Amino acid sequence: MSDELNIMESEPLVRDRYVPKEFKLVGKRGVQRRDGKEKAGGKALYTRDVALPGMLYCRLLASPHAHARIVKLDTSKAEKAPGVRAILRYDDPELEGKALEGLETKFNAGHIASDGQAFLHGKFELAVTQEQWMQGGGRVLDGFAWWEGEQCGVAIAADTIRQAEDALALVEVEWEILPHVLDPIESLKPGAPPAIEEINKKNNIIRKVKIEEGDVEKAFKESDQVIEFSIKREPYTAAEPEPMSNVVLWRGDNVEIWAHQQQAYDGKMLFCAKMGIPLNYVKLHIPHQGSQFGHGGNPMMHHTHGLHVISAILSKRTGRPVKTLYDRRDTFYGLSQDAEANTKFKVGFNKDGTITAVKLDTIVAKMGQYGIDHFMDNTRIPNLLLNYLEAQCNIPPAWWMRCEQNHNAFCLSAVFDHVADALEMDPVEVALKNDGVEGRDMAYLAAFKKDHGFQVRDSLAEIVEKGKTAVDWDAKWHAPGKKVLPNGRLHGIGFTWDHEWDDIRGVSCVGLMVNVDGTVDILAQKSDVGCDYMTTHCRIVAEEIGLPIEHVNWRHFEECGFQMMTPDGSCNLCVDAYASIAAARKVRRKILEYAVTPTTLIDIEYPAEFPGYKVEDLEIVDGIVRVKADPSVQCPLSEVVKRATVEQAGTRAPVFDWAWHRQGRYGVQEGRHRLCRQCYFAEVEVDPDTGEVEVTKFVSVNDVGLAVSPESCEGQQYGGAYMGVGRCLGEEVVFDPKTGVKLTGDYIDYKVFTIRDIGKTVNILHESGMGWGAYGLVGIGEDIATVAPGVVGNALHNAIGEWVDEHPVTPARVLAAIDKAREKGIL
Amino acid sequence: MRRFKHFDASSLDEAVSLLARFEGRAKVIAGGTDIVGTLKDSVLPEPYEALVNIKTIPGLEGIRNGAGVLKIGALTRLEDIAHNETVQTKYAALAQAARVVATPHIREMGTIAGNICQNTRCWYYRCAHNRFHCVRKGHAAPGQSLECFASDGDNRYHSIFGDVKDCLAVNPSDTIPALIALGATLKTTKRSIAVKDIFPPSDEPTKMTIIDSDEIVIEVEIPEPQASSRSAYHKVAIRKSIDFPIVNCAAVVDFEGDVVKDCHICLNAVHYKPYVPERAEALLEGEPLTDEQAATAGEAAVWGAKPLPMNSYKITMAKGLVKKILIACREAG
Repeated sequence: MSDELNIMESEPLVRDRYVPKEFKLVGKRGVQRRDGKEKAGGKALYTRDVALPGMLYCRLLASPHAHARIVKLDTSKAEKAPGVRAILRYDDPELEGKALEGLETKFNAGHIASDGQAFLHGKFELAVTQEQWMQGGGRVLDGFAWWEGEQCGVAIAADTIRQAEDALALVEVEWEILPHVLDPIESLKPGAPPAIEEINKKNNIIRKVKIEEGDVEKAFKESDQVIEFSIKREPYTAAEPEPMSNVVLWRGDNVEIWAHQQQAYDGKMLFCAKMGIPLNYVKLHIPHQGSQFGHGGNPMMHHTHGLHVISAILSKRTGRPVKTLYDRRDTFYGLSQDAEANTKFKVGFNKDGTITAVKLDTIVAKMGQYGIDHFMDNTRIPNLLLNYLEAQCNIPPAWWMRCEQNHNAFCLSAVFDHVADALEMDPVEVALKNDGVEGRDMAYLAAFKKDHGFQVRDSLAEIVEKGKTAVDWDAKWHAPGKKVLPNGRLHGIGFTWDHEWDDIRGVSCVGLMVNVDGTVDILAQKSDVGCDYMTTHCRIVAEEIGLPIEHVNWRHFEECGFQMMTPDGSCNLCVDAYASIAAARKVRRKILEYAVTPTTLIDIEYPAEFPGYKVEDLEIVDGIVRVKADPSVQCPLSEVVKRATVEQAGTRAPVFDWAWHRQGRYGVQEGRHRLCRQCYFAEVEVDPDTGEVEVTKFVSVNDVGLAVSPESCEGQQYGGAYMGVGRCLGEEVVFDPKTGVKLTGDYIDYKVFTIRDIGKTVNILHESGMGWGAYGLVGIGEDIATVAPGVVGNALHNAIGEWVDEHPVTPARVLAAIDKAREKGIL
Repeated sequence: MRRFKHFDASSLDEAVSLLARFEGRAKVIAGGTDIVGTLKDSVLPEPYEALVNIKTIPGLEGIRNGAGVLKIGALTRLEDIAHNETVQTKYAALAQAARVVATPHIREMGTIAGNICQNTRCWYYRCAHNRFHCVRKGHAAPGQSLECFASDGDNRYHSIFGDVKDCLAVNPSDTIPALIALGATLKTTKRSIAVKDIFPPSDEPTKMTIIDSDEIVIEVEIPEPQASSRSAYHKVAIRKSIDFPIVNCAAVVDFEGDVVKDCHICLNAVHYKPYVPERAEALLEGEPLTDEQAATAGEAAVWGAKPLPMNSYKITMAKGLVKKILIACREAG
């Protein structure tokens, strides 16, 4: 192992070149989850649980109309209601200038800075001006509503939630109801009402993008075969378990915030800027998060930033802590980034399975994903064309949640399976035939791996073999619509593939404090997002210093000057671990330097614990500092720390160090190719009489680079499997077509799947070491749930013999596909 | 949730007295898995003033088998019914239905009487904060005409047998089809009444049952099926883990050899009340139950169905489900 402290440059081709050959803790099973007892035992504190003395509860008005302006607001009765302590109205002068900066954003007015893809390709057209964009998000507690359920008009703080809600019911609102439009196709037709005329009175076009590589028209002419088809995907939402809330206490000149937020530190910065408060007068607490799934992942929106501003103003006025809460329906709030995506495909390919050209015409509501990205990221297809348009509608904001790559993964999956079907080829073969990167083939990729110090391995070829064996692919794969099981059901089996998510970007800071008893505190604040990151970082720090894992602890809830990145860009451990590793290596070296250095306390000199030795002569194993050449010469690490910190009267100087890591700007860095692959297999049974679908087996094979915590990876595989199957078969945000009111505001009508909704799940981890993250890892938290809908769709096609071209694949759509297959004589 | 009074009744008399005192503005609570959601979401324009808890009344829980009748106390939890050996062996359709209600947690709280009397799940009616003041809720303001928002809205889960006073909501119960097919009777504080007869006539769309506001279900009685009969139940839903039916169906078929001697079928979630397809029953009786005959019965079961713009698939599904259940009854032997 190298002791070199690798300070990473912020350039895209950085990777970890200092990976130990052997690990004691990293990759080992059976390490107890650090927050397991408090979470499983119901003791973990969530923002919703925070209760401070004298705390008030605040509820907000939600618009009952899909598009409306407040003409008159009478709060006189509410002001006199029992328990009411303060009312904040939309026309309050203190709300002036509290804009959401176009950030209720990236959906309403078009997105600029956040979209790495647009930056990467440098090819996009914004339908609004920069100024319009900056204003386009409306304002905290605005006087108009752009969708049903939008929080606007008035906030009421009272002694209890019920009193706040009772008072809210007494508020009299006169609305000017405006015409609304829900469907992106309808919104583009001549005569459609402007969905948000405050931004764009001319039309409902938010943004157009054209991305072109090669020459698709020429390639279509030269291809052996060309196919065309369409798909439509309905919007989904985050449906996170913990409803949105925050608590703000304004005390004197200081403010404390308890945030249910994914990028809470970013939210603090925005809050301070908007409220004119110095950063050091605001202290941020981030309790456990009842999951986020990206829903709290935009710190500039109303349910995150807006809550902070509202609670803060009310707290300042009342002198009491204020908790502002959304209820369950309020929390079923935003939409996925690919809110209603409609894509037309044209695909050219040759008889041997080589895909030569893909053209996509995509129209999405609000904010979407292009669908073309993964063809660029991990195929050799040289000719690509995307025509993309975002249309404005009166539906909730859309942004990245539950991973925004769903449409990209789905389009890749659909194209590959359609080509395999048209050629009657094994889809695994089609995938292997077209694997590559940015239009270049595997030979190029092999050279790239070699040039950049990676092992030259063929990730896809390795994982498909494992997956095929697990699902018995060669025996079970059959022509579409041609296998009926003894129980009368149609059998289907599907395959798909994609790259692993290695959107490794961001900045992460970690401090490490060594206590006098030899234990270590990780000092970093981080939002509780991710699968067991707490234990994982303890594991890494213990590994790198040479401690038993029990000697490392991390309570990451309080602000301490070090911000460990939370998933800001689809990455988590892959960046954060660089910082933990670097800090641990610095601390380890510091401890060893203390071990060989005498200490002076005024006039007394204490000899070194290891006099005459050099740092390089020593090692730390299980919390013991010892001589490498003669391990019998040893002392507990705690003795070194005691000697070094010259403890006196209970106070001491710290043995402390810190590190930071910055990597990348956006996930996809030009020239930094994705090297790890993932593949999935699904087996389904379809009842031809009722349209019921049962996913009987789901196999995930993920090249994770390196599994720091195998159980956590498997947890993500289990969770991703059922979540992805649910996205394919159930999840859909439904609006009443006439009024625009959301009909799916709870867990009954919005159909999130659980592990009980799928059959056998097989999870396989593959470790090629070809990730750009620390230790060569890549993240898998998002990708399984994102790619899974595609494989289930492919399996359904294999069962029915006809494509279900609208998702989610409900029984109604299955029955329609079965009817079509029967008409064609397939079934 | 708005404020309401809560009473723990110690006897049926006390509970009935409390309900009568509130003249329709009070509701019984037992498992609470339906009523609490209604209250929490502020579904109704005028919330109930009081809940009368009957879990505190002794003797309303338990399964007793004897004298050719199975007696299930009103407070018997669905999970206990699903796992009861007698129910599983002699009343299989009921065990199968109880087994797929909601989730294990909810089945451990929800009662058989609550499942029978539960409110509709129409997503317009149940939309939180009374977003849709629909015809089912009544209480029109002066000059206001109430409508069914599903009629020209998203009606994918609504009735395929037409409206009732403009309302297109369906009955979502899992256990009712099984109970009707098995010929069950309800014993209440006022009367004994067949389960198939507890549903209101078509001029009372705001009520799920005709059980009075001051009437309490005490027990469900099910006659022991013929030894030669077999029963089955199935629910079609998006999820297995928790969902109300898109369509569900139960059947009890009494065989004489291969020939159907007697047959009772009940579909649910297809109309405002459970739907007994008498044409299907009639054509099966006296005939061998072949696959083709089961399919023909499925066709007959949806005779007269009138799909809405978004739910014609439910007709296909109901046909297929009837066929599937009949074959399951045949195969159960």
